[in-house]
Amino acid sequence: MALPRPLRSAKILKFLPFLSILCVLVGVTWLLLLPLDEYSRNTYISENALLPGGVHTYFSGSEQNVFRAYRHEVKALQHAPIEQMIETIESIFKGQGLKVGTQKFRYEAGGKIYEGENVYAVLEAPRGDATEAVVLAAPWINGDDQLNQSGVALVMALARYFKRWSLWSKDVIFLITSDARAGPQAWVDAYHDTHTPGVASLPLTSGALQGVVVLDYPTTNPWDRIHVLYDGINGQLPNLDLFNTAVHISGHQMGVRASLQEMFEHNDSYEDRLRTMLRGMVNQGLGHATGPHSVFIPYHIDAVTLQVSGIGHHDEVTMGRILESLFRSLNNLLEHFHQSFFFYLLLAPRKFVSIGTYLPSAMLIAVNFTITAIGLWIKSGKRSSVSSHGEDTPEPSSITEEKKPLIQEASSSAIPSNSSPITVTEHSRSLLLPISFILALHFLSFLPLYIFNTYPSPLLTPLFALLSLLLPPVLSRLLHLFSPTAQDYELIKCFSLLLLGLFLSALATLNFSLSFLVGLFSVPFSFVAPQPSGRRWVALLMGAALQVLAPTTALLGVAVYMREGVERILLEAAFGWRVWGMWTQVVVWCVWWPAWVAAGVGVVSSWCGVAEDKEKSR
Amino acid sequence: MKLLRRLIAVVLVASSLLSATTATDSTAKGPTDYDEHLSLKTLPGNAVLASFSFVTNGTFDNHHSVFPRSLAQILEHSHARELHLKFSLGRWDSELWGTPIGKAGGTGVELWAWVEADDDAGADKQWRTLTNALSGLFCASLNFIDGTRTIRPVMSFAPEGHHSEKEMERLHLLHGSLPREPVCTENLTPFLKLLPCKGRAGISSLLDGHKLFDAQWQSMSVVIKPVCDNGRCRLQVEQTVDMVLDIERSLQRRDSPVPKPLPVERLNCDTSKFYGTGDSCFPQTNLGDLPWSLSEIFGRPIKGVCPLARPSREAHVCAIVPAERSIFVSQNSVEIKYPDGTRCFVLPDTADFDVILPQQSPALPLRLELPPLYASRSFTGHGQERGGVQAVLRNPSLTETVDFVYLESLPWFMKPYLHTLRTTLSPASPGFEPIQDLFYRPVLDRARGAHLEAALRIPPNSTLTLSYDFDKSVLRYTEYPPDANRGFDVAAAVITIPKTGFAIRTTSLLLSLPTPDFSMPYNVIILSSTVIALAFGSVFNLLVRRFVGADEVSPRTQRLEEFKERLLAAILRRTRGEKKKME
Amino acid sequence: MDRRSISLVVFAVTLRLFLFTAFPALPDLLTNRVEISTPVTSFKRLQEGLFLYTHGVSPYDGGIFHQAPLLLAFFSNIPKSSLVTNLIYIFADVQSALALIDIAASGVSASTPLHTSSRKGNSLPPWTAGAAFLLNPFTIATCLSRSTLVFTNTAILTSIAKAVRGDSIPAILALAMSSYLSLYPVLILPALVLLSYDMQSTTRKGKLGPLLNYALTQTGLFLGAIAGLLGLSYVITGGSWEFLYSTYGVHLLLPDLTPNVGLWWYFFIEMFDSFREFFLCVFQLHLLIYVGGLCIRIRKQPLFVITTILGISAIFKSYPSIGDTALYLSLLSLYRHLFPLMRYTFFATSTLLYASLLGPAFYYLWIYAGSGNANFFYAITLVWCLAITVIVADALFAVLRDEWETERPEMRGKDIVQI
Repeated sequence: MALPRPLRSAKILKFLPFLSILCVLVGVTWLLLLPLDEYSRNTYISENALLPGGVHTYFSGSEQNVFRAYRHEVKALQHAPIEQMIETIESIFKGQGLKVGTQKFRYEAGGKIYEGENVYAVLEAPRGDATEAVVLAAPWINGDDQLNQSGVALVMALARYFKRWSLWSKDVIFLITSDARAGPQAWVDAYHDTHTPGVASLPLTSGALQGVVVLDYPTTNPWDRIHVLYDGINGQLPNLDLFNTAVHISGHQMGVRASLQEMFEHNDSYEDRLRTMLRGMVNQGLGHATGPHSVFIPYHIDAVTLQVSGIGHHDEVTMGRILESLFRSLNNLLEHFHQSFFFYLLLAPRKFVSIGTYLPSAMLIAVNFTITAIGLWIKSGKRSSVSSHGEDTPEPSSITEEKKPLIQEASSSAIPSNSSPITVTEHSRSLLLPISFILALHFLSFLPLYIFNTYPSPLLTPLFALLSLLLPPVLSRLLHLFSPTAQDYELIKCFSLLLLGLFLSALATLNFSLSFLVGLFSVPFSFVAPQPSGRRWVALLMGAALQVLAPTTALLGVAVYMREGVERILLEAAFGWRVWGMWTQVVVWCVWWPAWVAAGVGVVSSWCGVAEDKEKSR
Repeated sequence: MKLLRRLIAVVLVASSLLSATTATDSTAKGPTDYDEHLSLKTLPGNAVLASFSFVTNGTFDNHHSVFPRSLAQILEHSHARELHLKFSLGRWDSELWGTPIGKAGGTGVELWAWVEADDDAGADKQWRTLTNALSGLFCASLNFIDGTRTIRPVMSFAPEGHHSEKEMERLHLLHGSLPREPVCTENLTPFLKLLPCKGRAGISSLLDGHKLFDAQWQSMSVVIKPVCDNGRCRLQVEQTVDMVLDIERSLQRRDSPVPKPLPVERLNCDTSKFYGTGDSCFPQTNLGDLPWSLSEIFGRPIKGVCPLARPSREAHVCAIVPAERSIFVSQNSVEIKYPDGTRCFVLPDTADFDVILPQQSPALPLRLELPPLYASRSFTGHGQERGGVQAVLRNPSLTETVDFVYLESLPWFMKPYLHTLRTTLSPASPGFEPIQDLFYRPVLDRARGAHLEAALRIPPNSTLTLSYDFDKSVLRYTEYPPDANRGFDVAAAVITIPKTGFAIRTTSLLLSLPTPDFSMPYNVIILSSTVIALAFGSVFNLLVRRFVGADEVSPRTQRLEEFKERLLAAILRRTRGEKKKME
Repeated sequence: MDRRSISLVVFAVTLRLFLFTAFPALPDLLTNRVEISTPVTSFKRLQEGLFLYTHGVSPYDGGIFHQAPLLLAFFSNIPKSSLVTNLIYIFADVQSALALIDIAASGVSASTPLHTSSRKGNSLPPWTAGAAFLLNPFTIATCLSRSTLVFTNTAILTSIAKAVRGDSIPAILALAMSSYLSLYPVLILPALVLLSYDMQSTTRKGKLGPLLNYALTQTGLFLGAIAGLLGLSYVITGGSWEFLYSTYGVHLLLPDLTPNVGLWWYFFIEMFDSFREFFLCVFQLHLLIYVGGLCIRIRKQPLFVITTILGISAIFKSYPSIGDTALYLSLLSLYRHLFPLMRYTFFATSTLLYASLLGPAFYYLWIYAGSGNANFFYAITLVWCLAITVIVADALFAVLRDEWETERPEMRGKDIVQI
């Protein structure tokens, strides 16, 4: 009698599969409904202190001459060694009367060395006390390996311009990183003194960082619109207020159109909104750094990257004014960003969906696994299957407590009115084999995690695809040494789905997109099962489906999506794991992959005559 | 808040007045002595350090001529024998400006005093009186220096005045600081009121709020101490105002309040660049020392001399600038040259007085005396659960070891772990023990902050890093300020060198604590109570009722039973549902 | 002690040693988790207390160290090596497990002198109780975090084991020890007295006086023991009573609002100042209420009363942690034969699972990512407490029903109602 009354009847079991299918369908439709006006909202500024665009901007005139001079300087250094670049920038900042620091860093990831040097200047707020600071950063070489010449020049010109104001309430830090990926990470780590041995600590620091704006402005031509990057590591997002302020200032004050997620032609139609949202979800799901700003966000420092794009009539003065206005707004902040949303999906520069609206879709997908697991559990309790492991029921596994009550409830739910001696035999579900199998599988999953993060060679993927093709048969062969029953297979599937459901629902609160994507890929796991010898072809189909939806295939899919080689992706992943602290791999290899293998084993077992055993037992 | 503060002030000053008059009426008039002095020192980076100092003396038995009466009454009332009160704003940049002004305090307000009392309780009582009275007098929130912000330093401070052995036994040193206090004009006005000339004549006529608080760094201090020579003891009040003014910014402010870009022709470009100076202009640096004058950077000249200032040959205004640099001053003011190149001027009695330094290029080299110690302090780690403090102390001297005392006074909600206190020397010198002596008083929730005092020493030309971990407490929601998400200021660490009496402060820190949801009290009370009620209900429901077979009871009770079950299930669902709701 | 128990203990010890040595960073990581170590049990705070104690500063004149003086005396006299400390904690766990195995072996859970369960047949072999304790991830985490709660649990289990064997004096002493360490075990005193009384009355028939005198003597003994321990602490702390406030005072008045898995911290963060004292009283008394009711209604099975009270205090004490839950669950595993009678086990266990996964996630969102607020973690603690509440109530139902069915065997399996 362990379940609520409606669940006690046997009939419910027939409906559970449909219920879980329903969950998946509803979940997906839910997501597809989000871009509609009824479910999305217009963005708004909720931190009143920001007053975006409330000030008149003066960056123009002779400042532009200075900017051009600096740009010549930067251009001249294009092919110079990094030391010379550092030296020149340092002298320019020093000439402006700022305090300057430099930092060397060196990372090793996936057998490759990433090293460089950052240079930064601190503009100490007059009468300020080094308690708070905002950062204006520009990578020397941007994400697309272009020289960020206008960006760096503009940062230096603004440094000179900002120095003359006496209204700063926070220190302003001007940061030039030698690259766009490792440099910012090294700097922010060292700023919080959590850096790795390869990274030098900072000679001078300021107060708590309140906001970061990164400028990516390689071109010297007039441009048309700014492209705002906002995704952080592991799908964390900056406070929506910062994004809104940037969009608001560029749009309302400067008349510059903003775009996001590389949707440069966004006519606010349903399709465009949906595409924007999905691109955002993929970026969050991958959990990689979309720009130099991404690495600040795990430190609870809100950051965005501003890119220029297109050919138009805006020039450095416009960008300079946007940044001036943006920093005046940040300077107004009284408290750390906290008013607005941290969980949101952006559909358009001025349209978003908040977590309350979109979370259910991922939750529903996660729930479908749990439902199937429950169903399997009850089912496995229904049939009397006297097994050799009877007395091992509460075997010494780390989840004894959680499981033991389950043992009783399901079985007793099966036949509430029986007398105890029968119930004993009824109870004896052999948990030892399934649980140890699942545990072993999850421990095994650390192997690919380690290998892929340590030796990302292109050979690995086909190798591993082959391996995962062979693994299920091998494992089920191994399993057969213990002469498993159909019930064992059911329990294996049950536990792996239960864990999958648990992990995904927990993950949905941390990284919605990743949870949703993995959940979507794993949906078949709920429905594949050992087939009787008569219907091997079904099993074949299932096996094929599983192969298509394997983590390795997903890897290839990502490679195609990002138009990169698999090796590049693997290097990126290894880099992300070592440097950025990216958790995507952990989810893929330690949550998704074991579930996948378990499902595979289930299918393969169709060739091991387990199904017949099941048939007999029916 | 401010109004409230003022109210308290009024009441307290009034009360002290009443109690004091009896004591003071019978005093006879004596010789007054009052001395004021301004020294102007050019600093690198086109900055000027202007140090005003006003010294007033009065004997104990009569000190109501020029000696500020209000102060005297506060002292009598609170039995304070020596008093140091500092207002500071900004940070002194020792890298650029050399050794700092010893008199400056940490950012915000810092107060320490030796009060006479029989025991600690008595001292606390006097201290409370003192802080409240001073908060009224200086329009500062000094009355917020309560038990949690007060410490009793043991090594850092020594009295400057002369106190007899017998007195010293009964004196208690208390120290408190308010790092968050914004120092502003409202504090300057009462400060000037204490002066005999009230800022209307003499050098104090330069002190104008607008200019003063546009300084790069700025500090005001009041020191009251007994000074004795051969038995005759006087009470001396030394008021100082020090400020570092950025010449470029003050000159530019004179032109326009907004630093608009200069017209192209007024830019001085580096013509040597390969891209020339057509549409681009590489700004030239170190264009020499900018010209400035008192009336430019203070907005007005000195208005005559304060007649009460001690008539003596020694000068009122001194300029410490390189000897090569020429100085022009107003008519009929006597100039005195000192061997060390300092040039001093005696103010004309009535006429205005101005000091003008013309443009000087190339810039003249300025000789800076190295400070005996560089100090900086910062937080390490992130997250609102715990963190670390790291103080980096550098001894620039190549020859001698420096001995000093490091004093931290932490708020009670910052709980340091003393067993994690680490010191690392670089370059490492084995066998050298940096920590000479350690005094520590742990925090007491809501009653007392942590007080750490360490006597340290650093070998020549090396850097000492002092670090420790701490936990952040979660406060009651009523204990958070309105801007809870800004964080809480942690007072500057005080570093003193007992031998020379040299003292510097680090910058203060911003500590961010975890915040509850301030809109939730009712929901939380309701939800938690629901869970408790559920437990209580379900347990006692089982305990007090007895079982019967379902077939043995009338259908009515059965229905009741089902209803009860459904109700229970509903409550379960709702309390679970809360989670989803809050996401 | 049979072969399986021995192999179990060996396995558990090696597992712990392996974890301690293979992941040196793990213990400190766990020590810093709010779910595992609370202000009154944290090992980090113990170290701070030791440091101050050995350097002549009174650790009780401060807001960090809230643990019993005897711990100071003990830890300051053992060699300062992490290995020794770890071994001590492992030993404590093993001792607890052995005590549990004794309790299980005595079969008191199924048949007391006054009551014999009709389902006696299907209780588990004794070693499984030990397994339920030693291999519980919550227990392992608590042991690795070196939380001083481990010692409290050991003392409790030992005293129960002694009581089950019927030698009351050691039982009472052990209980006094545990109450001295962390106050709340005093709640099980009445049930423990009943238990030892029953067991003794079986061993030596009739020679035992009436219950009242027995209870009074035992209580007197308990108070004496407590007084002795406090006196000893008075000596240890150099003749000052201030440790009373900063140990038991903290349990009672909750000055430190660090989050934990319990209900108190957020409630008293959000509580209006004027009502704080009132609700403190209410919360404390609420814990007392259960004792009387349970002792009277389930007079026949004192051991289950003890289990239930421990379960309730694992929810409602001022600084609970998952270690308390682990203790309750492992004691509950003695009643495996009654699980079939429980109704909401599935709901409760799945909730428990979800809570233990979502708890850390939400705490991270609140404290580190800054993207969630305190309500996230609070909601999880609510769910957690709810789950345990349901288990407690359900187990109670099962026991009562079992008693009822022993009275009326013909009603077995039939649907029942309460009136």
